[in-house]
Amino acid sequence: MDLFPQFLANGLVMGVFYALSALGLTLIFGLMRVVNFAHGEFYMLGGVSGWFVTNYLGLDFFSGLIVVAVFMAAVGWLVDRFLIERVRGQGEEPGILLTIGLSIFLVNGTLLLVGPAPMKVAGAVAEGPLFFGPIAVTKLRLLAVAVGIALIVGAHLLIRRTRLGAAMRATFQDPMAASLAGIRTGHVYAATFALGCTLAALSGMLLASIYSAQASVGGLISLKSFVVVILGGMGSFAGAIAGGLLLGVAEAMWGGYVSMGMVDVIGFVLVILILLFRPQGLFSIRTERA
Amino acid sequence: MTLERNILLAFLAGAALLPFAVSDQYILHLAIMALFYAVLASSLNLVVGYVGEFSLGHTAFLGTGAYTAALLSTQAGMPMWVTIPLAGLVSAVFGFAIGAITLRLQGPYFVIVTLSFAEVLRIVANNWIAVTNGPMGLAGVGQNLFGDVAVTDKAGFFLIVLGIAAVALYLSYRFVYSNAGRAAVAVRENRYVAQSIGVDPFGTAMQAFVLGAFLAGLAGGFYAHYISFVGPEVFRFAFMATMIIMVLLGGKGTLIGPLAGAVIVTVLEEYLREMQELRLTLFGLIVMAIVLFLPNGLMGFIAQRREQQAARPPLNAAKERTV
Repeated sequence: MDLFPQFLANGLVMGVFYALSALGLTLIFGLMRVVNFAHGEFYMLGGVSGWFVTNYLGLDFFSGLIVVAVFMAAVGWLVDRFLIERVRGQGEEPGILLTIGLSIFLVNGTLLLVGPAPMKVAGAVAEGPLFFGPIAVTKLRLLAVAVGIALIVGAHLLIRRTRLGAAMRATFQDPMAASLAGIRTGHVYAATFALGCTLAALSGMLLASIYSAQASVGGLISLKSFVVVILGGMGSFAGAIAGGLLLGVAEAMWGGYVSMGMVDVIGFVLVILILLFRPQGLFSIRTERA
Repeated sequence: MTLERNILLAFLAGAALLPFAVSDQYILHLAIMALFYAVLASSLNLVVGYVGEFSLGHTAFLGTGAYTAALLSTQAGMPMWVTIPLAGLVSAVFGFAIGAITLRLQGPYFVIVTLSFAEVLRIVANNWIAVTNGPMGLAGVGQNLFGDVAVTDKAGFFLIVLGIAAVALYLSYRFVYSNAGRAAVAVRENRYVAQSIGVDPFGTAMQAFVLGAFLAGLAGGFYAHYISFVGPEVFRFAFMATMIIMVLLGGKGTLIGPLAGAVIVTVLEEYLREMQELRLTLFGLIVMAIVLFLPNGLMGFIAQRREQQAARPPLNAAKERTV
């Protein structure tokens, strides 16, 4: 029982990153209705490009973070304008296939360029642990969590307080009415996709500073992000955060008390149960049902 | 309908002659894999093309079939003619249980929940070491057909998989052109209209789903004996991606499409193999190009061309008809 607070802290730390990545997916999957199987690859690209800018361009962690954010936003914008836009409004199938193709391309292209070895992003602070009573957390983790929380708050302010955010909310309520009101919905879709892509990538870079980035990590991250989005409710901002923390803590508890091997099964069992008993998600703002 | 049937029969007849005409083991291996994938793609097509829901969990049935056959063979020493049909039946039971839960959902929810089931099974296969031997997998699956009669060469395996493919195509054909198949298409096209004329969407979807699971289980059972090894990777998403690409490249909702897709993708993958790491990168690009430029697959493209040609010569007549 004495390890409980430590498991809880570890779970919350992981949960912040799940939440950040899922926040990106809740925009793309929950609002834009693109079943994006390349989401984990955006996460992976964040980690790999983070490694590239800190190791090869010699930038420090924070300017690296900004460079990666700008780069991945551009990638997301281009992916939407050149690929996703062409299958918009045709149901989910073409989108699924398109993003599967994109993810195969991105994983293997990355493998071709940088190889399969794990890549460590140089962190901003030293590795030393900090003790809060019975809990030990490294400084690096604490900093990454703080940056993660700041990014979540930033995304929230962007959606709630800016003109772009208002245009997004209008577009996803009624695209026709929004375009009649003079909103360029094509740009809004691309901006939303870019934002979702950037959030995933930054989550990937932060986590790569704690662990390491690998070209093949994307598949599991995609699936876990879907799990968190469905757990929290499609398109729900608060739901993605709560779902992410819940998954992180549930996995840490299961890993700590039951078995380490089966830890990834938790998310999938949760999602099956949620879809059976509460298909609108735990915190959905809409009463939409599956 | 008759054209489709005749093409399928001609394909099977042509394939039956292959082992007598070709003795190259490598080409026979490719032909075996193409037919194995053709069975898988046809079974997925029953769900994707006729129920109209996008299942990403079809590997659950492939894997269940493969593990069933491997366990029956290694633990009980049963021959192929028992294990492969049993693999199909066990998969069909799994299909019934999973379908009863997942077919209540539609759209993106169905996609994710089917994928979750396949992932759960993969993780269980990876960790339940007492039964599945974990990541080490089950090696040394027997290759005897009846009692002690073993299949030793590729030609023998080719005829077995051809038999399975014939069964799969026959069952798919009978289902698609039965009342249940037509009801499934009605549900796919418009759920509410179908319901209003008395079609039970859940029941018809369930029939297609269980049949698809049964056929995927047969394919899995064959795979276990042919490769003679089964590991958790049979549940992996890569298999799923290959199947989807075959169905959509060929054209979903047609019987010939998945067959054509399976042959093309198997050959294409093998051809690109010479380029090593570039192979999958190019593969990803090809997939994206198919979605953008051939949205209804090859069969859709051919059907469209035929319609255009039929409409072209009597231009005035066509105009009058549309008025």
